[in-house]
Order: sequence, then C-alpha cells, then structure tokens
Amino acid sequence: MFEPDEELIGRVVRQLRQPVTLDAGLDARVMAQIASLPARRSGGAARAAWRWLIAPRTVRLSPLGALAIAAVFAAVVLWRPDRATRPGRGRPASGSASDFGFVVVAPRAATVALVGDFNDWDAGRTPMRRVRQDESVWTAVIPLTPGRYRYGFLVDGVRWLADPAAPAARDDEFGTPSSVVTVGGS
Amino acid sequence: MTLLVAATLVALQAAAQGPDRRLARLDSLTRPTVAALIDSARAAALPTEPLVQRALEGATKRAAPDRIVAAVRRLASDLGQARDALGATASPPELEAAAAALRAGAPPATLTALRRVRRESLTVPLAVLTDLVGSGVPVDSAAVAVLSLAAKARDADLVEFRRAVERDIALGAPPASATAAAAAFAAGAVDVNAGAKQQRPGRP
Repeated sequence: MFEPDEELIGRVVRQLRQPVTLDAGLDARVMAQIASLPARRSGGAARAAWRWLIAPRTVRLSPLGALAIAAVFAAVVLWRPDRATRPGRGRPASGSASDFGFVVVAPRAATVALVGDFNDWDAGRTPMRRVRQDESVWTAVIPLTPGRYRYGFLVDGVRWLADPAAPAARDDEFGTPSSVVTVGGS
Repeated sequence: MTLLVAATLVALQAAAQGPDRRLARLDSLTRPTVAALIDSARAAALPTEPLVQRALEGATKRAAPDRIVAAVRRLASDLGQARDALGATASPPELEAAAAALRAGAPPATLTALRRVRRESLTVPLAVLTDLVGSGVPVDSAAVAVLSLAAKARDADLVEFRRAVERDIALGAPPASATAAAAAFAAGAVDVNAGAKQQRPGRP
C-alpha cells in the first residue's frame, strides 16, 4: 500500500526543484497593500487607551451580577447624608462625635431610658444603667456630634422626667417636659 | 438585563424618595399629613430630620394627632424663617438652632446679625441665646450679650457664659444684670486669652 521511502523522497525532491514562475505584478500589489495601511503615529499608548475606552463592546453579565451592580447603585442612591452621622438620627456632620454623659436621679425606678432626638425617641434604644445596684443614680453615655438635641428620661416606661441639670425645651408642645443639650464644636 | 438593572434602580430611587419608614410609628391619621409636610420641606430644601424627630417625639409621648401635626407644621415654618434669616448656606444644625431661637422670641434681624459677625458655626450661639431667654433673660439683653461675644468666643466659652448666667440667676441676680455681668467677664476673658496666645513665645 505504501511506496518505498527512497522513491517517495526522490519524487518530492524533483518536484521542489521545479522552477517557480512569479507573477510580474506581485511586488506592485504587495507594496500597494502596505501603503494603504494607516501610518503609525506618536502617542500610541494614550491613543490606544482612548480607542479602547470609546470602542463599543458587548458586556456579558449574569442576572446575579446585574443584581449585585444594582445593589451597589442602590446603596449610593439610598444613602442620605443627613442620616449617617449619629445613632438613629442624622444631620450632616458638622464635627466629629464625642461621648456625652447623661445622669439622672430616679429613686425607686425599675428602669430608666434616655430618649431624644439622637435615638429617634425610641425608648428601647438607650437604657440607662444604675451607678450601683443599691443607688438611684442612673447614667448613659452616647456619642453626639455638634448640634442641639431635645431629650428626656422615661422612668419605668410611663413617667417622663426632664433633666434638672439642663435647660428646658421651650417649644414643648406635647405636654411632657423635655430638656435641651447643645454640643459645641470649638 | 439592562432593563432589569434600570427597573431596579428606578424602584429603589422611588423607595428612597418615599415616606420615611420611621413614620410608621405614627398612627394612620397622622402619618400622611406629616409625610406631606416633610415632602414639602424637602422640596423647599429645608432639613427634614428635625421634622421627623418632632413627629417621633409626639408619637413616643402619645400626643394627640392634631398636636403632632401642628408641632411639625410649626417647626417647618420656623425652619423656613430661619433659612430666610441665615441664608441658604446655613447648615441643618444651624437652622434647627435658629428655629428654636425664633420660637423663643429672638428677632430674625438678630440671627442675620449673628451670621455677619461670626465665621464659625452659629449652632451654639443660637442655642445659648435660646437658653438664656428660657432662663428668664429678656430677649434684647440676651441678643446683645450673645452678639458681643459671638465674633471671638469659642463654643465652649459661650456654653460657660450661659452657665455663669444661670448660676447667677439661681443665686438671686436679676436675669438682665446677670447676663450683662457675665458677658463683660467673658469678653474680657476672651481678650485676655487672645493676647496671651499672641505673646506666648515659640508658638505660631
């Protein structure tokens, strides 16, 4: 089925030794093609980067990836600068937060909560602690940024106390006392 | 896919502009009115957080719906007047403090004058002004004292000034006299401190 190796090699060699005739216009056609290519210019890297940036591309994205990107956008959209500065409340930060202590004397109280503008007036968010188990002095420390805050103490979940050591809120429209604390920045 | 992303963004944007979820603590009668007041304030570029907090205060104190609405509406109006007096560049804490000062009886012209004389935040000077009036100091006396100190005094100096006035009133001094005396003392202290800083060797 196969020719002997020497005979096959001999035939290939004879074929390769045949003279090759080139088309007379080949050189001209090759040079014309080269001349038609765009000339290479300086600033190539920047130009290539710009071409890469402006060239339209097809981006393949899974639904999960799309949702992840949407979530990032949503975080940016939903972020409100007036909500990010202090616990439960937000005004734009006009300074850094510093710890601020509140003290109240409430004899026979079982629980005391610090409630005010700084914690959405949520009685469950800032419970005060007794200084000692057998004493009636209650304290809480919270971070506050510079600003003016209304607050009060809620004793046993039913009785409101103003802070006797702080100015009273004048515009108290709800019939229970509130106090005001002002935190400065300088 | 693009449509999915766009729809998600639009929905989230709508949610962001919707009623504050904290307002769910208000009853169904109060909530829509308060939400509308807050939307109006936002459209007028007024700070909305004080309004939310005032409504939440009313809810926590179990105030009647009409009192909550009236309080929020009044505060929104005060914030607008405060912005008129202080200018569009006033910060939300400044506007809130200015609204309280106006509610205490301070004339808008005093707020505008404070803005002119003080470069730093007006939050503390306005709060001190409000607190002095709350302590029984006549508005005019309180305004003169705070204006005289506001240009140079630090926030801490102003708070100390207020404490001094309240201490003297508690000891029996007439409020106006206590304010004038404390202001004179504080102004002197501010000048002395400024001079001492200038004469301190080796410091810029």
